[in-house]
Amino acid sequence: MRITCPFCGERELGEFTYLGDAKPVRPVAGASEDEVFDYVYLRDNVAGVMSENWYHGGGCRAWLKVTRNTLTHEISAVEPAAGAGAAKVGA
Amino acid sequence: MAEFSWDVRSPLDRALVSGAHGAHGDAGVSLTEIRDFDLIQVMARRGKAADMATAAKARFGIAAPETPKAVRTADATLIWSGPDQFLVLSKGGGHGTEALAQPFASSASLSDQSHTRVLISISGARALTMLAKLSSIDLHPDAFPVGAAAATSMDHASVTLWRGNDRDGLAVFNVLVFATFAESLWHTMLDSAAEYGVDISHSEDMA
Ligand SMILES: [Zn+2]
Repeated sequence: MRITCPFCGERELGEFTYLGDAKPVRPVAGASEDEVFDYVYLRDNVAGVMSENWYHGGGCRAWLKVTRNTLTHEISAVEPAAGAGAAKVGA
Repeated sequence: MAEFSWDVRSPLDRALVSGAHGAHGDAGVSLTEIRDFDLIQVMARRGKAADMATAAKARFGIAAPETPKAVRTADATLIWSGPDQFLVLSKGGGHGTEALAQPFASSASLSDQSHTRVLISISGARALTMLAKLSSIDLHPDAFPVGAAAATSMDHASVTLWRGNDRDGLAVFNVLVFATFAESLWHTMLDSAAEYGVDISHSEDMA
C-alpha cells in the first residue's frame, strides 16, 4: 500500500503510522460519562469506505486524514488533518 | 565541583575510517561526512506562514521552499522539512539562531539543530545505484533533479534528503540524519556501497 501525502507525494506504507477512525469527535467539557465512554472506547468496524487518521512520521511529520476502503485498500482521498501546517488553519 | 572539558566530536568519530572500503579499483561511491555546520529549524507559528515567507525572502534574498526542495544562496542552503517549516544549513554562525532570532521574531519559532544531525554527502558514479537500495524514493534525474528534496526514511531512520549541485558532472546527494541514528545508517551505507568500492572521508567544507 502506498499513500500520497499532500505535502510529500507518494510514499511507501512504512513511513506512516495508523491512528484509527477519524470520525470520533472529542466531547465538550462536562459531557456525560456515556458520551466520553463512546468517544474513548467505541469504534465502528467498517467494511467499506472509512475516514482514518494517519501520521507521516517517517516523512514530513504531518497528520493526515485518509479516506480508505477497508475491503480493497483503495485510497480515494488524502488531506491534511486539522492543525497540519500552520498555514492550513487559524490564518 | 567537577570541571568538565567538553570535547566536541562527531557522532561518526569512531565509525568513520577515512580511506578505501569494499571492492578494489576505482571507487564507485564517495561518502563524505560534512562536519561543523549550523542547522536551524524555522517553523511558522500558527497563521504566520505568509509572514515567515516574507521574513525569509528579506533575510536570504530568495524564497524559502514551500514544497520539497532545497534552494541555495551564496552562504546558506534552505531545505524544506515539512509544511510551513524549513531548515537553514550554513557555516560560521552567520545564519545561526542569534542571527536569525530578530528577522523571524514575529513569525516563526527557531530551534538549533546543529548538533542533533549528521550530514553525509554521497556522490560518485554508483551513488544513485547504492541509494536505490536504501530509499523508496525515485532518485532518477527526471524525478529527482538538482534542488529536489524529501523528508523520508532510510533503513527506518528519518532523514532529510536533497540533491545538491553536481560535482564533476555527477549527482551529489545529501542526507541529514539524527545523530543517534547516524552510526547505524553509516554502516548500512557502507554495506550497500561496498560492492562498488567506497572512498570514505570527512570534510569541513560545505559542498
Ligand atoms: Zn508527508
